Amino acid sequence: MEIMFFRIALVAYFVSTAGYIISLFVGRVRVAKVSMWVFSLAFALHTVYIAIQWMGAASTPTANIYGSLSFVAWAVSGAYLAFQTKTKTRVLGVFVSPAVLVMMIAASAGLMDGVSLPSALRGPWVPVHVVLLLTGGALFALACLAGTMYLLQDNLIKSKKVRGFSGLLPSLRDLDRINHICIIWGFPLLTLGIIAGSIWARTVWGSSWHWDPKQIFTAISWVIYATLVHQRMIIGWKGKKAALLSIIAFAGLLFAFIGVNVFFVTIHNF
Amino acid sequence: MTLDCLIAGVILQDAEKMSIVLLGINHRSAPLSIREKLAISYGEEEKALGELKNIPHVREVMYLSTCNRVEALVNMKPTDTVVEELKASITSRGNLSPEEMGKCLYVYRDEDAVRHLFRVASSLDSMIMGEPQILGQVKEAYRLCVGQKTSGVILNKLLHHAFSVAKRVRTETAIANNAVSVSFAAVKLAKKIFGTLDRKKVLLVGAGEMAQLAARHLMDNGVDEIIFTNRTYENAVKLANDFHGLPVEIELLEEKLGDVDIVISSTGSPDCIISGEMVTMALRRRKNRLMFLIDVAVPRDIDPAAGKIDNVYLYNIDDLQRVVDENLENRLNEAEKAESIINEEVARFSEWFAALEVVPTIVDLKNKTEDIVKREMKRSHSWMKNLGGEERENIDILVNSIVNKILHDPVVGLKKESRDGEADSYVAVVKKLFKLK
Repeated sequence: MEIMFFRIALVAYFVSTAGYIISLFVGRVRVAKVSMWVFSLAFALHTVYIAIQWMGAASTPTANIYGSLSFVAWAVSGAYLAFQTKTKTRVLGVFVSPAVLVMMIAASAGLMDGVSLPSALRGPWVPVHVVLLLTGGALFALACLAGTMYLLQDNLIKSKKVRGFSGLLPSLRDLDRINHICIIWGFPLLTLGIIAGSIWARTVWGSSWHWDPKQIFTAISWVIYATLVHQRMIIGWKGKKAALLSIIAFAGLLFAFIGVNVFFVTIHNF
Repeated sequence: MTLDCLIAGVILQDAEKMSIVLLGINHRSAPLSIREKLAISYGEEEKALGELKNIPHVREVMYLSTCNRVEALVNMKPTDTVVEELKASITSRGNLSPEEMGKCLYVYRDEDAVRHLFRVASSLDSMIMGEPQILGQVKEAYRLCVGQKTSGVILNKLLHHAFSVAKRVRTETAIANNAVSVSFAAVKLAKKIFGTLDRKKVLLVGAGEMAQLAARHLMDNGVDEIIFTNRTYENAVKLANDFHGLPVEIELLEEKLGDVDIVISSTGSPDCIISGEMVTMALRRRKNRLMFLIDVAVPRDIDPAAGKIDNVYLYNIDDLQRVVDENLENRLNEAEKAESIINEEVARFSEWFAALEVVPTIVDLKNKTEDIVKREMKRSHSWMKNLGGEERENIDILVNSIVNKILHDPVVGLKKESRDGEADSYVAVVKKLFKLK
């Protein structure tokens, strides 16, 4: 029955994506506003779906890659809506909404009413580990998105092409702030998620560190994010360099999350 | 023929041939170093005006001195020696060599002089086409020459005509929007970078017209602190008073650069006064917070290398202009429209001016015929007194209408020749044939 919520949410995400894209061409604020409300509705339904799954016995919403994708989509949507109310950068939705839709479509491919978990994933630390990392990942995804938009806008202003597309992008300062906030909040989540994971790894695998490719790439990303946080908070990095680094770091994280499973053999494969 | 032309003609009856000459330098013909030397400081205009007026054969004169131009508009007897004396008088205060002077001083005569004046007043000749201050400056120069009584019939007419041309250009073309939109473009860009301009600080270097306009727009959009600096500290203080800002000495420029988000530079300095290095240092001090540099000076004030630094956005006047030029064609159209208005008005003024030449002759001719009529009527008085009042009136009307009919064609002919610039010989013939003075 929770599948129904998922499906309606999927449709709503689709409608809002279409709306956002139309708003780009029509250039009317109202279309974007309506899309935003449809998006919020989709998020609400999605929340209900995840909540029901969570309460359902023996199944966490993040047990496999499909569930995780759905969860990331949910976290990204939530983070975006939070920013939306704060910074009024509605145009971000044009990028967020399609990304969420794609994740949801991918997630729907493997949707089941419940999976039986392998024994290694039955423990209190597992959901903590997964939820922290996925939420952190969602924030980093937004940071990466804002960073990309920042680089685009920066390039347009530097090359003096300020008409047309540049007008659709938020101001540099707003993009930099979104990037900053996402990194600052994402980093502790990532760190705590890794700690939770290593605690659990010690219990099931005997040691926290295995030189597993997934661990290695996650660690690399963590180091880049740590550098970025340091540069931002202490050195006062802003703008272009920070944006660029947040994109690189996210690429690493994305690779650790999905790429490793494709290219390497990993014990962290569920 | 218009009434004022007749009146002017009567006033100038004894006048010989006149010529309108405009000579001077502007931002295109002379570098600032020379413009600076020739520009006269506040309060000295009257003296300069007096000197020019004292040159023999100069009848009327107006003196215009702004930061971009120094020009004298003169109504005089058309002789080359006068032009040379005028040149000497204008350049005497600058200590310029004859070569320097020859290179940058332009001299326009008659129609060209009128056209130039109209273009200046309409802001077509301005550094920023369409900027509104120049008309005020021309009006001020005119007011001064009226006050000093160095203007007469011709300049009065010419200047009032210039003001109405400027008004026509302003209302009938979009040229005037240009300057405004350049500074609006600056504001829009600033918003693209900073989101909102609340609590942003602006540094204004120099006192250019464009920079002031941009500063005004930035303030209207939320900027709450403007710092003014100038090579002449008094000017910074003056501007700071106007804008409720803070004046600082130019020596503190480098230090202040780190405190501000937006810099607008418009000095007349021939070299860059803000180097890439200074901007790098400033950026370090402000912890890489974004900076928007606007360089409206020509030649440039800010090293173009500064624009390549991360988190620094540099726009010069051409860049801003390009942002404004929605499509170039449209802008050219507006300029063309303005030029054609000016051509039209120049033709109108020239007609009036040329007609002045024949007016004294026409007036003489009319006076002479009137005298003849009066004399002959007097001679016929003896037999006419037997007639009734109404009949006598009718004879009066008849005589006058015959005279007017006879004079009509020669008068129209003279006016026509004056338009074609051939009046001289005809005036001479008429004078000779009718034995006019």
